[in-house]
Amino acid sequence: MRNPRTILSLLLAAAVSGCGSSDSPILIGLAGPFSEQPGVSMRRGAELAVAEINDRGGIRGRLLELVVKDDSASTEIAARVARELYETPGLVAVVGHVNSGATIAAAPIYNGGSRPVVQISPSASSPQVTEAGPYTFRVCPSDLVHGARLAEWAWEEVGARTAAVLYQNDAYGRGVRTTFQQSFEALGGAVVSEDPFVAPLPTFEPYLLRLSRRGGADAMMIAGTRAGAERIIATLDSLGVSYPVLGGDGLYGIESSDVDATGVLISSAYLPDRISPRNEAFVAAYQAAFGDVAPDHRGAGAYDAVHLLARVIREVGPDRRRIQSYLATVGTESAPFQGVTGVIAFDENGDVPDKEVVIGVVRGGRVVTAVRQ
Amino acid sequence: MRLRIRLNTIKARVIAALGVLIAGIVVIALIGVGALRTLDQTVSRELDGLTQAAEITNGLVVTLFDELRTGEQYLTDRAATVRQAFRDAGERAYGYQSRLRTLPDLREADRLMIARIAELQAEVEVWYSLAHAQVDLGRRAAAERTAGQVRVPTEELLRLVQDFSALQRNRAGIVAQSLRQSSSDGRTMVWTVLAASVLLGLVVGFATVRAVERPLSRLEAVAKRFADGDLRPITLGDMPEELASLAEAMTRISTKLRTLVASLVGESERIAASANDFSAISEQLAASAGEISTAMIDISGGAGLQVSGLQESSSAIEQLRAATERNGKMAGRLAELSEEIHHLAAKYEQDVSVSATTLLELGDVVQTSANQVEELDQLSDSVYDFVELIKTISTQTNLLALNAAIEAARAGERGIGFAVVADEVRQLADSSGAAAEEVTQTLSAVRTQVGQVSSTMAAGRAKVRGVETIAQGAADALGEIRRAIEEVEEGAQRVKNEAAGNLAAAQRILEEIGRASEAASSHASASEEVAAAAEQQGASTQEMAAQATQLNEAAERLRTLVKGFRV
Repeated sequence: MRNPRTILSLLLAAAVSGCGSSDSPILIGLAGPFSEQPGVSMRRGAELAVAEINDRGGIRGRLLELVVKDDSASTEIAARVARELYETPGLVAVVGHVNSGATIAAAPIYNGGSRPVVQISPSASSPQVTEAGPYTFRVCPSDLVHGARLAEWAWEEVGARTAAVLYQNDAYGRGVRTTFQQSFEALGGAVVSEDPFVAPLPTFEPYLLRLSRRGGADAMMIAGTRAGAERIIATLDSLGVSYPVLGGDGLYGIESSDVDATGVLISSAYLPDRISPRNEAFVAAYQAAFGDVAPDHRGAGAYDAVHLLARVIREVGPDRRRIQSYLATVGTESAPFQGVTGVIAFDENGDVPDKEVVIGVVRGGRVVTAVRQ
Repeated sequence: MRLRIRLNTIKARVIAALGVLIAGIVVIALIGVGALRTLDQTVSRELDGLTQAAEITNGLVVTLFDELRTGEQYLTDRAATVRQAFRDAGERAYGYQSRLRTLPDLREADRLMIARIAELQAEVEVWYSLAHAQVDLGRRAAAERTAGQVRVPTEELLRLVQDFSALQRNRAGIVAQSLRQSSSDGRTMVWTVLAASVLLGLVVGFATVRAVERPLSRLEAVAKRFADGDLRPITLGDMPEELASLAEAMTRISTKLRTLVASLVGESERIAASANDFSAISEQLAASAGEISTAMIDISGGAGLQVSGLQESSSAIEQLRAATERNGKMAGRLAELSEEIHHLAAKYEQDVSVSATTLLELGDVVQTSANQVEELDQLSDSVYDFVELIKTISTQTNLLALNAAIEAARAGERGIGFAVVADEVRQLADSSGAAAEEVTQTLSAVRTQVGQVSSTMAAGRAKVRGVETIAQGAADALGEIRRAIEEVEEGAQRVKNEAAGNLAAAQRILEEIGRASEAASSHASASEEVAAAAEQQGASTQEMAAQATQLNEAAERLRTLVKGFRV
């Protein structure tokens, strides 16, 4: 007697929730450091995409809604908010996180349990993300691609035959350093120095002075983040020496800093002046929505990630497992996604190995696409 | 309700008992296997983790010391090899601390610790690198100061690595403790389940044995009663379903047996009575057959006397008639019997129709005999004419002799011799006439007798016809008890066969009688054949009678047997 009643009530509940779910919005998580510029950029890109989708009537007659969780770029908080998103009923995918560390810390939660959920990072470029799990995807190239692209640019466009490398002594800095060095040496160049730094380093002067005393280098590669780069450029200025400076997308933001970073070459998965009708429309909409601020690769990546998810949900419905199955085929069994950041086609690790990396140059307080000479 | 009924079968009880035991064993096995697997997995994972953690932390500590040593060494000895050794140590240290992140089952605290270790290690490396740059620039004092910065992070780093190591060990201890606890819980659970299963199994098993034993003994008692012939109604009471159906079957058996035995008793009485009658009739039939045989022998003897012995023939035929008459009477009784048996079952006619045919053929024989006798009568007519002729001749001869005597007297002396002759002729003619007269008298006597035989034959024929009808009924009865008296039937078959032979022989003798005056000599032997056949038939009939007696005895035994039942 008890069982049929239970089954009946379950059926009723399913019917009720089924009726409700056709009207309720489809939930997508958004996780990043929203008190910082990278997070803000990401959030704007995602919100713009959601607004566009909902303006066109949503997906399968249902609106899209973001569940926003701040991870403060901390691995610890990232793991906690990942758990919160994972447990949110009706949530079918997550866009995030921004930083590689946070993304890697959250990945085991999204990939685990009985109801794993897809995460798409717009900007986590660490090589470790590759092995984070089948439910972890990213729409940006790995750091390793950046290092190689920068070495190629230094050799071909800068004409550098020697290079000095300053690297942040962490996973990111070491990763970019290694691929740059390997590619540059493969092209025939010589890396004359490799000096590590960390954030609390009191001075870069001994490294740079020693370099100039030893004859300098044709190019200076900074494998690190913006803070270190700013101090290096300031130190170079104070020493009165100048080298062509290159750096990965960790340097992004240096264009609007206090130091004069004009001429600094930055590799990026995306630059807002990218020439494509889709991108132009995106940039215009972004600027219309958020004032005269150009989107960066995080915002563009988030924008692409949301639109990509919308396509997938339109195809297979708002189901966690089906979304993962379909997403894994994008670029192989199903068509690649034409985003504002370029063509997104996943490999078996959820990476985009064929995604182009562009080189930008700081000019007039902006990063613009560097033109080959 | 349903459950109670289900449990009321031996099968269900046995299945329940076994099921409880098996389920218990399965649960125990599952608990055991599960516990072992968990233990195995946990132990191997923990061991793996511990080994890795030990290897990594050891490697990290060693390379850190390498890094510190070479870092310090470069301050005084700016050799490229030392610088390279420092760089290599740094790379190795970085490799180890990266590997820390890959350890299994890291908790947030572990990750934080690892992140701090990485930070400190990076810091140590950077401080030395900076000091080396200062040394390269000739700023020894500054380099010393910078290198001095390493002390704090190094101490913290070594402490953290040690703490991390201890944490892993500790965690292994906690895991071991929880494993011990879960294993002890598992043991308790296994013992509890085992005890419960065995107890429950025993209870159900005992209950089942009891539930089977009692009804079985009741059934056994009833079966013994049946064996002793006591078929009175039984009451068996409640019992498991399987035995209940057995009990029901036994009750039905006793009811059926009672009905059967009751009807058997009646039937056996009737069969015995019928068999008795049959036996008696068979004996009489045998006797009659004997008489017929005797009559036939007499006929054959009579026939040997030819015309002059026709008197004896007539008496013999008289005997035959009498026998036939008795046959008729017996057949009458047989008809009564057959009527009675006919009521038992009227459907078996085939076998008996053979007997009927035999009787029919016997009728034909009698008919033929009558015809022959009639022919004999006609034959005696011509004998009569012949005797008349002799009488005429003798009269005329007498007249002639008288005339001759007259003529001789006229002739006188010379006629005396002739007169003697004439007297002789006259005497001869007289005796001839007397003889002829005698023959005439005999002949008329024969004719009278023949007439009598003829009428007797006609009566016999009528009676035989009656017998036919009666025999049909008798045949039916015979057929009905055919199964029980298989041997009797065989005997009857033989009787039939011999009767057929008898018929042929009788046919022949009657033909012989028909031609009595012409071929009297062969008559006798043919008659003897008939006699022999009749005798044989008699023997067979006697055999049949004997078998009828056996049947009688069998019926009697049957009656005795069914009397053994108490219904």
